Amino acid sequence: MPIETLKMNLPKFLDNHPQLIYLDNNHTLNNAKIKIKDNHLTFKGENEFFVVINNYNQEKVIDLTVSKNQTLRVNLLIYNSKAINLNFNIYVEDNARLTLYTNFTSSRKAKLSISRNFFLKDNAYLRSLNAITYNGNLELNDNFFLVGLNAKLEVEQLNIGSKENVYKIKQQAFHQEKSTLSTINNNLITTDMAKMDYKVIGSIAKGKEFSKCSQNNKGIMLSNESEIAVEPTLFIDEYNVEANHGAAIGQIDELQLYYLLSRGLSETEAKGLIISGYTNPFINKVENVFLQKQLIQRISRLI
Amino acid sequence: MTLEIKDLFVSIEDNIILQGLNLKVKGGEVHAIMGPNGTGKSTLAQICMGHPSYKIISGDILLDGESIIDKSVDERSRLGIFLAMQNPIEVPGVTNFDFIKAAMQTRMKKDEHLRVGKFILKFEKASEDLKMGQGLAHRFLNQGFSGGEKKRNEILQMKMLNPRFAFLDEIDSGLDVDALKLVGENVTALKSPDLGLILITHYQRLLDYIIPDYVHIMINGKIVMTGKDELIKKIDQDGYDWVKKELGIEEEDKKPYSLGTCPSKH
Repeated sequence: MPIETLKMNLPKFLDNHPQLIYLDNNHTLNNAKIKIKDNHLTFKGENEFFVVINNYNQEKVIDLTVSKNQTLRVNLLIYNSKAINLNFNIYVEDNARLTLYTNFTSSRKAKLSISRNFFLKDNAYLRSLNAITYNGNLELNDNFFLVGLNAKLEVEQLNIGSKENVYKIKQQAFHQEKSTLSTINNNLITTDMAKMDYKVIGSIAKGKEFSKCSQNNKGIMLSNESEIAVEPTLFIDEYNVEANHGAAIGQIDELQLYYLLSRGLSETEAKGLIISGYTNPFINKVENVFLQKQLIQRISRLI
Repeated sequence: MTLEIKDLFVSIEDNIILQGLNLKVKGGEVHAIMGPNGTGKSTLAQICMGHPSYKIISGDILLDGESIIDKSVDERSRLGIFLAMQNPIEVPGVTNFDFIKAAMQTRMKKDEHLRVGKFILKFEKASEDLKMGQGLAHRFLNQGFSGGEKKRNEILQMKMLNPRFAFLDEIDSGLDVDALKLVGENVTALKSPDLGLILITHYQRLLDYIIPDYVHIMINGKIVMTGKDELIKKIDQDGYDWVKKELGIEEEDKKPYSLGTCPSKH
């Protein structure tokens, strides 16, 4: 039974969960009874789903489709203990609203390469929350194609890098229709000798007027040996649009530290509070309480 | 209950800012410190708080007769020193509520626990008194606050933390007339034998609302004159040149200096 093999990895609350969909190389478990055909998962109904991908290493692309007019939450929980490559195509159909929470977890230090293509149709809304507390090297390539009129994208990413892990992340928002909106917020923390390399790209094609593209990157390095590099880029080929980008990377702000110390917090408490300023806004956006609790535990183990 | 600054000489980089400053503040007293720009008024507040960029050359700061110059910034705060800063710092992502709760917890004994309900009521009352609006608790600390909101938030923290000696460093700057009156009334309401207040200001208008017991004029890093109400009026009318003439004080040339970053004291 796949659920037995899962027990080492899965949070307890997912045992026999009615909305669980589980994939590994040998098994598929579809408690949620959604349509699954040739690696293509189609979601219908307003609900919350848990898609667990466990050491899944196939060349086939995994397709996820949120059907028209549906509003749902999908929690994509990716576990691996060996090096794997994953490719996704995620379709958010007309008027559909998807909140996608992705958590990457490795039980061993293993390399994970993920490429995801998102297609947002007319009036589609995608909120992509990515919690990266990954132990191992990670390559994540997210491409967001805003192909429908009024499509709206919000990306929130919290990445806590530790040990000597290397994180190479590429996020690209392609505005391919008018009045599309994208916002990417990255909160990045490194400890030990971790290295992060972010390429954040926004492109607005010619004629795609009234589009808005925004990128905000904040990073804090908690050790002298860790590194964060962010390259925010905008390619704008249309005049009647709004676009902005920025990156603020540094160590603990000494003025902030002094301010908190002057109110009686010890140095450890003050630093903890400043760091919580990077993690808490993301944590508060994780709606599932079990996953939120799990994330808090993982963060407290790392920093 | 006294805070005493004794013959204090303080420098930053190669500049000597305070040059033999003496001041004694008792519980219940309000002292106003006035003076031209660059005479060391803010330095006095920062050095009492323990800002690590400033260096004490000689002299002492005594709290109830005990020196605090070897105490760290947070220790001084927990001993009851408070500084309402001229430029309050923004801390994104940290809510006002979490920050003030953490600050109050540091003042509790090991076996004590913060009673959250009581804390919320006190926070809401202070917020209402200062007309800070209902969402204050969940706003990030000073982020996106107007200049006036930042100053009122400093007073809110003061109300919550119950310091023994509070320096209000140009708390009137950035406040409109109504906000100034509100801040003045809130600070005055805090007056008690358990609180000594040191107001640093350039203008009479703050002192219309918070009536000082003593007014000190600071020039070239030391207090050169002490008086009462009449001194405020005279300064408001004639500035400081008459003080310099009367006392034969010459302007000093000072090199510009940077506070830079301020690493915490280890």
